[in-house]
Amino acid sequence: MAEENHRHYVQIDEKRCNGCVICMKACPTKAIRVKDNRVARIEGVCIDCGECIRVCPRGAIKAITTGSGASRISPYTIISASPVLYAQFGEDVMPNDILLALRKVFKYVYDQAYTHELCNVATELYIRENRGREDAIWPLISPVCPVVNRLIAYRFPSLLKHIIPVITPREIAARELKKRLYCESVFKTKEFGVYHVTPCSAKMISINEPMFLEASYLDGAMGINEVYEVVKKNLHEVDEDVMLHRSGGVGMGWSLCGGEIAGLDEGSYLAVSGLRETILYLEKIEMGLLNDIEYFEFRACVEGCIGGPLTVADPYEAKRTVQRLVRMFGQEKRLKFAQAQSAYKEGWFFSEVERKPLGGKPKPLSIAEGIARQERLEDILRKLPEKECGLCGAPDCRTFAEDVADGKALLKDCVFLGWEKKHGEQA
Amino acid sequence: MPHLTKSFAIKARDYIRGGDVSIQIQGLLKTIGFDAALIRRASVCAYEAEMNVVMHGGDGTVTLTVDTDGIVIDVKDEGPGIENIELALQEGYSTASEEQRELGFGAGMGLPNIQKNADGLEIESEKGEGAHVKIVFKLRSNGG
Repeated sequence: MAEENHRHYVQIDEKRCNGCVICMKACPTKAIRVKDNRVARIEGVCIDCGECIRVCPRGAIKAITTGSGASRISPYTIISASPVLYAQFGEDVMPNDILLALRKVFKYVYDQAYTHELCNVATELYIRENRGREDAIWPLISPVCPVVNRLIAYRFPSLLKHIIPVITPREIAARELKKRLYCESVFKTKEFGVYHVTPCSAKMISINEPMFLEASYLDGAMGINEVYEVVKKNLHEVDEDVMLHRSGGVGMGWSLCGGEIAGLDEGSYLAVSGLRETILYLEKIEMGLLNDIEYFEFRACVEGCIGGPLTVADPYEAKRTVQRLVRMFGQEKRLKFAQAQSAYKEGWFFSEVERKPLGGKPKPLSIAEGIARQERLEDILRKLPEKECGLCGAPDCRTFAEDVADGKALLKDCVFLGWEKKHGEQA
Repeated sequence: MPHLTKSFAIKARDYIRGGDVSIQIQGLLKTIGFDAALIRRASVCAYEAEMNVVMHGGDGTVTLTVDTDGIVIDVKDEGPGIENIELALQEGYSTASEEQRELGFGAGMGLPNIQKNADGLEIESEKGEGAHVKIVFKLRSNGG
């Protein structure tokens, strides 16, 4: 079945998991089950959002990444760092020092935030073009958050065409780094790899199974939490006087919810963060209620990427740090608009891959079968107590009813139904 | 013939929950597997009808009926009724209060929007007797 083949990059440590229901309840796609009172397992479609990683009280859930160790193997490893990294060490540590500290370990380090401005230009030009189109689709949706892209492909496939076809900054950065290094390098090999230092648990899947590219330009990802200690240690030993940090406030502001649209010209834009809110807005867009908005910046993590599951600093302290950096480096654009515009016209920003819905729930063969299944489901649901306890192994009564209707669970697994029966017999 | 009926309650002046019923209806139609364009039309109509009840109607009930012929959204309320149905169907005509306009409602597009999106619309109402709005969508052979 499609959903059993679906890959994900979240791993549950069966030794640490005690089978509580916390991750199962937190999962926005209801992909987790805790059957037979044992351990949590991912059985449905996982969109790699990392909610389970965040809520697990026993630290039993981890994101699978390339890891900092693995990527050190090659001497030609290039690191492209998310600006969220700059917000991890407090207000007084400057981005350049952080990049230099990282360079003590990895020879080539790149400030990815610079490409954010480039993508702002591309987005703006795309919105302008759309305004002139008679068959324009509104609202457009940012392609940046890989969790949101997967959420749309899985739960809102009719909105896939709203996601703009601009390649994300992390991919553009990786593509250009590779081009440049290949030209400059005497080693015309594929030995160098570009690795992304990221706050995001969904980067591995977006690298290994990109939705809007034939193949990712990135070779792997490591969590900010995996480089944090080594950067922290090396910060005291920075002795180079090289400028690696190129981005301004606009690029760095992307770490916060609202940072992407802050880099756009006047328009009707909205930034929404957190999965719960994102789902609510996607439902409204699907109902056609938000056609007056031109562009949506959705971020699955609350407050934006600074709230990513692979970060170390407190997200609100990180937010303060980013706000300070934005003030300090200014909101002026650092790149030449005309140059970016001509690149846009040459198609430099675009991906041509068709947007496909993710294989989620197996589609019923016909409307008649769909209705019949729904009837079964409602029948089962009427028998359930709606206590939403999760003891049956499904996150809530409705999901349990779905499982029973699809033959994946048995009605007797509901502890309340069992209890009532016993209680009735005794009375 | 497989056939599903489900009712939902709407509470008057509950702007916080207002819209939830149509979101539930949208979810249900999605699980059944209707075509996206049809779901969009049906959920827009459900939303407009639901918000009409929230704003003007007093408490009400939405009954969704689904079978292989199509979808029927039947909305009944215990409100003051619609005085002039013909007028209410005109774009821009609204009886919304100042307070409701401040909340972003009352553009006078509710019923006209339903008429535009549905395959059939029947309104029964008299002043003081509540309103009964029946919205019909016919299923074409391709599922939409």
